[in-house]
Amino acid sequence: MAIEIKMPRLSDTMEAGTLVKWNVKEGDKVEAGQVLADIETDKATMEMPTYDAGRVAKILCPVGANVAVGETLMILAEEGESIEQAVQSVGVGAGEPAAREAKTGGARQHEARGISESTSTATIMKSKSDAGAGAASAATSNGSDGESASGRMLVSPLARRIAEENDLDLNAVKGTGPQGRIIKRDVLAALGQDASAAAAAPSKAAPALSASAPLLITPTNLGGKVSLSSMRQTIARRLVESKTTIPHYQVSVSVNADPLLDLRATLNEQLASQNVKLSVNDFLVRACALAIHQHPHFNAAWKGDSLLIGEHINVGVAVALPEERGGGLVVATLRDADRKGLRQISAETKALADKARGKGLSLEEMADSTFTISNLGMFDVDFFTAIINPPNAAILAVGAALKKPVVRNDELAIGHEMACTLSCDHRIIDGASGARFLQTLKGMLENPATLLV
Amino acid sequence: MTAVATRQIQFREALREAMSEEMRRDPRVFLMGEEVAQYQGAYKVSQGMLEEFGPRRIIDTPISENGFAGLGIGAAMMGLRPIIEFMSWSFSLVAADQILNNAPKMLYMSGGQFGCPIVFRGNDGAGGQLGSTHSWAVEGLFSNVPGLRIAIPSTPYDAKGLLKTAIRCDDPVFFLESERMLGNKGPVPEEEYLIAFGVADIKRAGTDCTIVSFGRPVHFCLEAAEKLAAEGIECEVIDGRTIRPLDIDTIIESVKKTGYCVVVDQSWPFGSVASEVAAQVYERAMDYLDNRVYRVCSDDVPAPYSKVLEQAMLPHAGKIIEAVKKATYLA
Repeated sequence: MAIEIKMPRLSDTMEAGTLVKWNVKEGDKVEAGQVLADIETDKATMEMPTYDAGRVAKILCPVGANVAVGETLMILAEEGESIEQAVQSVGVGAGEPAAREAKTGGARQHEARGISESTSTATIMKSKSDAGAGAASAATSNGSDGESASGRMLVSPLARRIAEENDLDLNAVKGTGPQGRIIKRDVLAALGQDASAAAAAPSKAAPALSASAPLLITPTNLGGKVSLSSMRQTIARRLVESKTTIPHYQVSVSVNADPLLDLRATLNEQLASQNVKLSVNDFLVRACALAIHQHPHFNAAWKGDSLLIGEHINVGVAVALPEERGGGLVVATLRDADRKGLRQISAETKALADKARGKGLSLEEMADSTFTISNLGMFDVDFFTAIINPPNAAILAVGAALKKPVVRNDELAIGHEMACTLSCDHRIIDGASGARFLQTLKGMLENPATLLV
Repeated sequence: MTAVATRQIQFREALREAMSEEMRRDPRVFLMGEEVAQYQGAYKVSQGMLEEFGPRRIIDTPISENGFAGLGIGAAMMGLRPIIEFMSWSFSLVAADQILNNAPKMLYMSGGQFGCPIVFRGNDGAGGQLGSTHSWAVEGLFSNVPGLRIAIPSTPYDAKGLLKTAIRCDDPVFFLESERMLGNKGPVPEEEYLIAFGVADIKRAGTDCTIVSFGRPVHFCLEAAEKLAAEGIECEVIDGRTIRPLDIDTIIESVKKTGYCVVVDQSWPFGSVASEVAAQVYERAMDYLDNRVYRVCSDDVPAPYSKVLEQAMLPHAGKIIEAVKKATYLA
């Protein structure tokens, strides 16, 4: 009996996934546990293994297609079954392109299961995004005309039907309806049918407007469309949610970074033989974790009618991903950062950052942060503000330790100053509390020996 | 219709002709209501009928809707074919138990022993500054009730053809007229014709947007369609003519062609006739819609007395034009 491989539900919130890559082709023999495809969800890119052995009879989903959970992606012929039999039993024409409806036929229903930690088939999550995606302020959304603010593509039923009848990929269509909804005229324009009528329709209704308007916005003069990755959609959604629902305010403090830089240089010199190189950020993680100990509201999450104070102090570190891999950013979580020494923080941060930039973080490695640090010091940034990474209560934006004329011991001198700007959720943390937290943090950073014990 | 120039008569004359023809045809038919006889009809619909048919068939009643509605139902159960005139459908509310609880359920509850072939007719919708209690559009309310039929003509031609069908119908029929249309003139042929229930009429053909309406607002739709045509938007205006039964097939066929649908209905929006049409369009033509269905109803307030406010509250061409533009993504 043929086996239908369906889009698995890989996370609680997943409704659809994008087929990033097929690792097998039609006719291939596959073993149980073999990875059939890479699936990009709203959170991460994951591998989809098969639980049955067989031969790939038919691939029904083209690469790049966004497919709802439960829809059939491919048909597997069981041992002793011919490819033709398998395809026939499911009821898909052999020449039919990318039929995506779930067929029930005589086939056994098989939903590739989601990832579980006990799975011995080594289902590796090649995470590319989310959990904590979207902490740093630099990540602003370009928006998209094809997707709504919630990140879901809006398509009128008629437009969807015409696209399906013409095998048109809606990802390539620009929506001109409300919230970027793709409507009939957009699909017709994409198909090259009646495009002139589509473009003319608005002006036909409002001739006065089009005559006087200097620029008539039509799908033709908006430049190239760039489809959004799931991560970009997630960043957009989460940051809009954060910036529009959390009452942000910022407090800044300038930290004398000389003692910190001196201590760091000394330590790195002594630890060089052990291959340890502490970064300023490692000190920041440790300092923030210890400061949160003294200010437990910085470990809280807003729950509408109550606050949830986190039991563990998990510091998130925003990691920018390389442009050549599509850019974006993720937040790596350093769990129980208050109970870890600088050396461990340094090693873990480095490992997480390398993994994030390489094959990607797992959902777990991005989950559960209670406070986030975004550091743009390596870009010589003087000062910036960041957007809170929900459900955190605050985020610290750290600039570079820059040489500046400073007053030390009532004398003008040259010293290193580092701007730290805290964005707080005013529902949880009032201004004075934010200022006190920075006072604590500044005290620790300017007397960094306290961070060693 | 004939090739020769068709005569033009008023809506009220068309109603009168329908009743008179049916009374000549069938001795069981009689008309009863307030001022239908001596006064020749509160709105002169029954003018001259007392003279022709006499006081045994054109019967004046006291101001007692509950009483004469019940009397009519009893007569219908016993084999007559009463036409009960409500001066206004607003006044039918005092006879609610008779018209909603007895008439539509009699056939069912008597196990088929008693039918109720009765026509209730009268003015429906805002008559013009009659205040909240006398400005009822009952179609939203009454179309919720199984066991009855509702006809709501917009032209003299439809009024005559539908009323003749109503009088011959074996079920209770609620026939909704409009005080504001009784003087409207339209072509009505001399020869006899009937219009079947459940057959909508395409009052204007078009390809760009479907507008569905019933009764007086059909005229506002035609006015809107005229203005929209000047802007290059060709609307198809469908006059449902009867609400129960609803000719959903004609509506669906049109929506499949245009991809857009606006429903115009003078009842209040919540649970309105427009809501029902919209729901059925979604049920049957979802994949043909390029936008959601837009409803134009009366505003969700009691009818105001003020002329200006009343006009603002009712469906009119301006609201319909706006809805069509929104529905077709042109606004």
